[in-house]
Amino acid sequence: MIAKPVRAKRIPTASFALGSLTPGRVAEPQDGAEAAAILRAASDAGEAVVAFGGGTLQSAANAPARYDIALSTKRLNALHEYDPRELTAGVGGGMTVGELNALLARNHQFLPLDAPLAAQATIGGTLAAGWAGPRRAAYGRPRDLLIGATVALADGTLAKTGGMVVKNVTGYDMGKLYVGSHGTLGVIVRANFKVLPAPAVRRMAIAPFDDELRVRAIAHASALSIEPAALLIVDGFHEVAFAGRPRLFALLEGSDQVVERATRELRSALGAAGIAETRLLDGDAAASAYASILDAYATATADTSVTFVARGLPSEAVTRAQRVRDALGRVDTVADLRTGDVIVRVREGFDTVRAVLGRAVVLSAGPAAGVDAWGEVPAALATMRALKAQFDPRGVLAPGRFVGGI
Amino acid sequence: MQTFASRLTDALGPQVVHSEPEDLAVYAFDAYSQDRLPSAAIVPSDAREIGIAVRIARECDEPVVPRGAGTGLCGGAVPSRGGLVVSLARMNRIVELDVRNRRARVQPGLVNLDLSNAIAQHGIFYAPDPSSQKTSTIGGNVGTNAGGPHCLSYGTTTNHVLGIEYVDADGEIQHTSIDDPGYDLTGVLVGSEGTLGIVTEATVRLLKLPEEVRVCVAAFGDVESASEAVSAIIGAGIVPTALEIMDALITHAVEAHFHAGYPENAGAVLLVEIAGAHEDVAAGEATLAAIAREHGALSWRAARDQAERDALWAARKGAAGAIGRIAPNYYIQDACVPRTRLPEIMHAIDGIARDHRLPVGNVFHAGDGNLHPLLIFDRRDARQVQAVVDAGTEILHACIAMGGTISGEHGIGYEKRETLSLVFSGDDLAAMGNVREVFDPARLFNPDKIFPSGATCGEVKR
Repeated sequence: MIAKPVRAKRIPTASFALGSLTPGRVAEPQDGAEAAAILRAASDAGEAVVAFGGGTLQSAANAPARYDIALSTKRLNALHEYDPRELTAGVGGGMTVGELNALLARNHQFLPLDAPLAAQATIGGTLAAGWAGPRRAAYGRPRDLLIGATVALADGTLAKTGGMVVKNVTGYDMGKLYVGSHGTLGVIVRANFKVLPAPAVRRMAIAPFDDELRVRAIAHASALSIEPAALLIVDGFHEVAFAGRPRLFALLEGSDQVVERATRELRSALGAAGIAETRLLDGDAAASAYASILDAYATATADTSVTFVARGLPSEAVTRAQRVRDALGRVDTVADLRTGDVIVRVREGFDTVRAVLGRAVVLSAGPAAGVDAWGEVPAALATMRALKAQFDPRGVLAPGRFVGGI
Repeated sequence: MQTFASRLTDALGPQVVHSEPEDLAVYAFDAYSQDRLPSAAIVPSDAREIGIAVRIARECDEPVVPRGAGTGLCGGAVPSRGGLVVSLARMNRIVELDVRNRRARVQPGLVNLDLSNAIAQHGIFYAPDPSSQKTSTIGGNVGTNAGGPHCLSYGTTTNHVLGIEYVDADGEIQHTSIDDPGYDLTGVLVGSEGTLGIVTEATVRLLKLPEEVRVCVAAFGDVESASEAVSAIIGAGIVPTALEIMDALITHAVEAHFHAGYPENAGAVLLVEIAGAHEDVAAGEATLAAIAREHGALSWRAARDQAERDALWAARKGAAGAIGRIAPNYYIQDACVPRTRLPEIMHAIDGIARDHRLPVGNVFHAGDGNLHPLLIFDRRDARQVQAVVDAGTEILHACIAMGGTISGEHGIGYEKRETLSLVFSGDDLAAMGNVREVFDPARLFNPDKIFPSGATCGEVKR
């Protein structure tokens, strides 16, 4: 096949570097069709393409094996469809999560993607990275909020899945496949979501505690009749409030009356466990406190620091986080009591983290960490490899970035 | 040379394999109805037996069709080319229940309602509740990504499946989990209507029962005004746990049969369920009642107790059966529109039915924009049969024109495969074909389903 010239602009490539590789050029398509044409041309020419949104979760995958073109989704940032009365929105993959939530907030609606660094993180990038945050226990995962998508594929086609209705069983649910595929199957150029009515009240309750009260505090906080939207035990993470002590963060979201009752319950539960003080932050202050935790997940503290996330059972999260601290000393950990996630940020002892937690994947890493993002390979790897070969026979989409070298 | 059935019998034993025509008759159809006897049927006890059968079927070039309870309305369980039917009826256990972490591992033949009933004592439930839940199985629900009235706030089956064990086209047992790194194979398998493999176990998410549940009934003059009320409720940013509409024809049939307490003289009835914290339920009812009245509700009443709530729901979920008692035959359509278009589509459906001189009843998941027009006809009258087919297609076209789609929860199956290309381009279908090609290159599993006949997935692709 004859290679077609790839549409490219003179955009500095340095900020698109991954690992030790800097792309030869940066392409900035202005719509899905252009993105698809770029992929087609790259496929024909055998040039490797990495889709690039805000770059916030790029270190959650391995550096590519080859890297010719960075496909920036920056200009794919249109608001395609949003009728607040429908509680649905269709947006370009390059729109930032922060911008979408700002648009939704004008109509008292929101989309709980929980993206770290939401002002930079793009919708497409957050989906492709497979990120699912603490509030998934309350509102569902990003994959569950996605009702439709348009994806540019390696053969230059634009494939739609789902639509703009909230309930849909029409052919395979392809959106699930693209979410979490780290750009190895295609580039998400448009995503449609069901959005949610925003809670009337958002409150963050923060309770620093002494280590000897840990077990009781957690037992009491886990048995609330109104479950917080997020319930996290944070150790370390100097950039998060009350650094220096272990602390419990309970994000309460809902109506005024329900949040008030939840607050009373939480205070009395923690009080019974011997914790005198529970600080409350409301509204924007609560949102910032919550964001500061999510942002820390995606922030390296050193060139060699790595943040891991290990999924697991909610009942085991606290013990698992404790085991990591027992093994490695004072490292940053979060035990997510509602989802079971354990988040660990370390500068060394990567193998120990994996030995203790089992399957732990990298959520973010400093540029010199040199850690494999995936660790242990999943049981269904053969099927995954076959899917990759079917969608991208020339192996040009983010080669080598995904699990098992896909 | 040994026949297919005798090879199966040799491998699995006569208690697992059925091959006599009188035994096979029950596997020839589902609720869509299309008679075609399979060559054999198996009723296995575990995934291993299914693996053995799949390998034999593959060697004999016989297609394999999985079957739950056979309640599917689109022919998904019909053995359209004969072959092997795999009934999951015997694999109906809850394998593991983890109350603390709210998850269960269940076999595919487990009846949907049996799961929620078995775990209610722990204060938890399984949210997807198709109207068929008294008979339909978790495996069948996974196949069609089944919905139900409560999907409005809880989501459909796919939002509640955390992992799957399935038998692949090589007869091997595979495991997926949404928490594993790698592609989300779980999400792709849910809703694939048995075309990618045979699900032999599902790990499902369970939810905490709400503190309080309130079920209310509002009467309206006609279905359009009830629809306007629903559009207004969603438009006001309120998502109750269920918002269901029944028109006069359905309400009459339901009351005649169930005596559940629906207002019989109403032109349409809106069934609302509000669930959650006590404070929210009380406030929610007041707000919803006010919106309903603004849009012409003639009455609003809350069920007094659990018994009354259960009666209202049993009647609603039994609506299709109640129609079956008064109509010679009926055809139930499944389609979706964006929720602001509900009044418009109800008007359009009324016009289409009128044009074809067919009585139509409407019972639907209004809050989701998920329609179920029910066309009443007499199978013995060829004109009426043709009219039903034509009207059904026109309704789908009308939904698509309003930005909707051709199935909300029943799936595509055999029935709607030719209409799939109304909503998806060749490129869209080719991407799906890629998945089929990987999981099932020989098209062993459930052929003739989902994809248009003129272009099998492989052919669609370029």
